[in-house]
Amino acid sequence: MSHVIEVSHLTKRYREAVAVDDVDFAIQKDKIYGLLGRNGAGKTTVMSILTAQNFATRGTVRVFGEDPYENAQVLSRMCFVRESQKYPDDALPLHAFRTARLFFPNWNQDFADRLIAEFQLPMKTRIKKLSRGQLSAVGVIIGLASRAEITFFDEPYLGLDAVARQIFYDRLLEDYAEHPRTVILSSHLIDEISHLIERVLVIDQGRIIMDEDTDTVRGLAANIVGDSAAVDAFTDGRDVIHRESLGRVASVTVLGALTDADREQLRAAGLDVGPVSLQQLIVRTTQHAGTAGEAHAEGVLR
Amino acid sequence: MSRTLNVVRMQLINKQTYIWIPLIILAGAFALSLAVYAIIPSDGVKIGGGSQAPLWYFGVVGVQALTLTFPFSQAMSVTRRAFFLGTLLTAAITSAILAAIFVVGGLVEKATNGWGMNGWFFWLDWIWASGALGAGLFYFVLALMFFIVGFWAATIYKRFGSLWLTVILVGLGVLFVGALFVIGRLDAWAAVFTWFATQGAVGLALWGLALIVVLAAASFGTLRRATP
Repeated sequence: MSHVIEVSHLTKRYREAVAVDDVDFAIQKDKIYGLLGRNGAGKTTVMSILTAQNFATRGTVRVFGEDPYENAQVLSRMCFVRESQKYPDDALPLHAFRTARLFFPNWNQDFADRLIAEFQLPMKTRIKKLSRGQLSAVGVIIGLASRAEITFFDEPYLGLDAVARQIFYDRLLEDYAEHPRTVILSSHLIDEISHLIERVLVIDQGRIIMDEDTDTVRGLAANIVGDSAAVDAFTDGRDVIHRESLGRVASVTVLGALTDADREQLRAAGLDVGPVSLQQLIVRTTQHAGTAGEAHAEGVLR
Repeated sequence: MSRTLNVVRMQLINKQTYIWIPLIILAGAFALSLAVYAIIPSDGVKIGGGSQAPLWYFGVVGVQALTLTFPFSQAMSVTRRAFFLGTLLTAAITSAILAAIFVVGGLVEKATNGWGMNGWFFWLDWIWASGALGAGLFYFVLALMFFIVGFWAATIYKRFGSLWLTVILVGLGVLFVGALFVIGRLDAWAAVFTWFATQGAVGLALWGLALIVVLAAASFGTLRRATP
């Protein structure tokens, strides 16, 4: 089976807002997904429903071909540690990991121990006394060391410093290479994770507005750099999503894949073509969607 | 089944919550009661309510078992059913331990005639009327009932919020007062007291067990649609 998750007509309505609006998508096996979108776009709600922690108002969710709700066979193959995860009152990180070892069949203690050392996580401090970053590290370690067939990371980096985030990205990639699995990573720091993710799933106002391979997404736009006048001549009539200039040099991002004729024209005009930041592209796309849609209230996170 | 047993192990991670604090409360209440008995300059029967203290704490444990451990169990990919059964099993095990301590304490108390000063902590004549086993059952049901009341209230809170919990508790209070009123109007207080007296400790324990089953079923129904 190439799809581990299949979602059709998924809708989640809260009293005051529609968090997920008639969404269809499928998740391929053994790929790393970036689930991207603004606060309140519906990322956490989608992940909660996929793991049967929350309930759909309408629509169906199939994980490994089955309904995950109260399905121990399916649930034990998934791991979802929330960004705001609660732990038992007097639990130490040690307790949390010992419990994870009981419930996740692929749990690897050596890997967990290594991560604990690398994140410099104090094992004898109560979880409720940990700093925000250390709390995130507990969740990250559970997510990585559980080696679940489908692992969800919901903004796992909150409070983690740059070094710790890099450790997370490096270990995730290394371990993924040795033990392929499906990873769904939600994040605001799009450029920081852009080299990790193979597929991009962008959710905006409860709708999926992009479901593409990362490379394809990068090809959706190009960055043209060179003499201002030449750049402007080339970009005239094209969909410009970003423009920067310094003196007589301009750097302009245009939407749309470049044709061979375009490249020929650029070479003749002495202009350079550079890659586009994924973040910029997605920010622009979601902004477009935002103005096209109706007024949107920033809202529920679940 | 093994996942249910693992939930017991998950709950017992908090040894402090389930084991040490109830024992400290029990030992503290016991020591304080004996000290008070020793101060009282009388050879009459001395009875205090101190032994209730750990039972009330079981209500708190019931609340915590849900509000803190349920969200964690969801992160451990545990089904709501396994969480519910494992948590109830944990409560039953710890209630049984508490009941065993009460029975042993009561037997010692009887053998030493109230610690040599006619002071009674574990032993109440009406509870022990049907023997050690009856008293043990009574204490077990009482502890489990405190737990399940706390757990049940916490499921309501978790799923519907504090407003509905308050409304439901006030509603139950109204029903209770209404029952008192009806009994008074029917002039039936004598009959009610007689009923309680004839049930005895074992009879009341069995009624308690019925209440536990009702509250447990209600909790499970609420928990099935609760979100962490």
